[in-house]
Amino acid sequence: MSVYGSANYEYVVARVRHRRASLFSDDEYRKLLRMGTGEIARFMEETQYEDAVNALGSRFSGVDLVEHALNETLAEDFQDLLRYSEGRLYEQVVRYLRKFDAWNVKTVLRGLYSGATDEEVRSDLIDAGEFEDAFLDRLVAAESIESVVELLDGTRFETYLDSAFEAYEESGTLVPLENAVDRAYYENLVPDESARGEAAQLYREFLEAEIDFRNVRNALRLARSGADVDPAEYFIDGGALFDRKEVGQLVADRSTLVTRIRERKYGDELSKALDELEDAESLIGFEHALDRALLEYSDHLSYVYPLSVCPVLAYVLAKEREVDNIRAIARGREAGLSEAEIEEELVIL
Amino acid sequence: MFDTIPEFVTVAQQTTGSSPAITPKSAAALAVGLAALAAGYAERGIGSAAVGAIAEDQDLFGTGLILTVLPETLVILALVVVFVVPSAF
Repeated sequence: MSVYGSANYEYVVARVRHRRASLFSDDEYRKLLRMGTGEIARFMEETQYEDAVNALGSRFSGVDLVEHALNETLAEDFQDLLRYSEGRLYEQVVRYLRKFDAWNVKTVLRGLYSGATDEEVRSDLIDAGEFEDAFLDRLVAAESIESVVELLDGTRFETYLDSAFEAYEESGTLVPLENAVDRAYYENLVPDESARGEAAQLYREFLEAEIDFRNVRNALRLARSGADVDPAEYFIDGGALFDRKEVGQLVADRSTLVTRIRERKYGDELSKALDELEDAESLIGFEHALDRALLEYSDHLSYVYPLSVCPVLAYVLAKEREVDNIRAIARGREAGLSEAEIEEELVIL
Repeated sequence: MFDTIPEFVTVAQQTTGSSPAITPKSAAALAVGLAALAAGYAERGIGSAAVGAIAEDQDLFGTGLILTVLPETLVILALVVVFVVPSAF
């Protein structure tokens, strides 16, 4: 498929909108909340997860079945998106879906660090990014973290990981490596200024919002944990909300940080979330409110600019949320949490 | 030499009067052609969106078909012009 040339927005957006509309609704979540894990799998069999549940049903059961079916459907769905889209749209979607490359690399690193078996790691990988199956297999089969870093030479992660690996060897924690992977993804995400036109502009706006939200979350987590780390090191460039220097001062003083966010671009979208943060003092609630705000913002963009990449990205976000929600329900059920506790973990628009 | 000028002018007037560069009927035909081109362009986008929707859900076939051919009304309206315009002045 050619990277340049016109894009088939009409076709892809129509398909994506239909899929967006058939995601689980409030009512369905409420039904799921009352089910056991086996019932959840059976319920999923009647929805768009049917194929995956049927294919995996003989090998897994219970929560594992739900989990694998979710991963499988997610990967298939996003591969479909790439298959449909052409031209500029394809280029933008593929760039965004590299998110899963970053996710896969992080999973492999964590697996090696925690000593999980190859099989466990492989089943957690989501095959929706740019890395091919064979390459993922090689990553999983790698003996040590160092050989993973070596395998990734020549990919986008190379420059970021090389310097982080030294930090990892000194400290012995995974944080620098994970952070490097995130930064490699986000900092290559936003296309440079040379890309002109309304489509590129919108794409940039959407991604800036995502980076900003990610920065807010990181800053708040750091402020909350009181860890003695320099927040600027964990800052992702490319957002519009704050810059590397400011974030250090803002983290130290949480109330200024909150006022600062309120005054800026996303003040309206986030006001509910910020109120919640000020009242509840609970970071989890705030993070879910952030997720919800990002979902709403992406939906808003996709209605304002129907023939653009925005509806596709909004769908990707919504689908990921749905998968996270179902997983939270299934896992919560298995762990014996109450309905109310699980409901708090869900992000429902 | 100057005597011929009035005669020449009459001839020139006669030729322009009797056969203009574009006859009314061919102008109307052009109008229909342009309208059809525009309808085709409009249907391009709607059609690809409709096929996308039908691929997701077979039940949308009827809706998709109707929406796709809506711009066809442009051509029908343009076709009226052909009958309204007289064949010659």
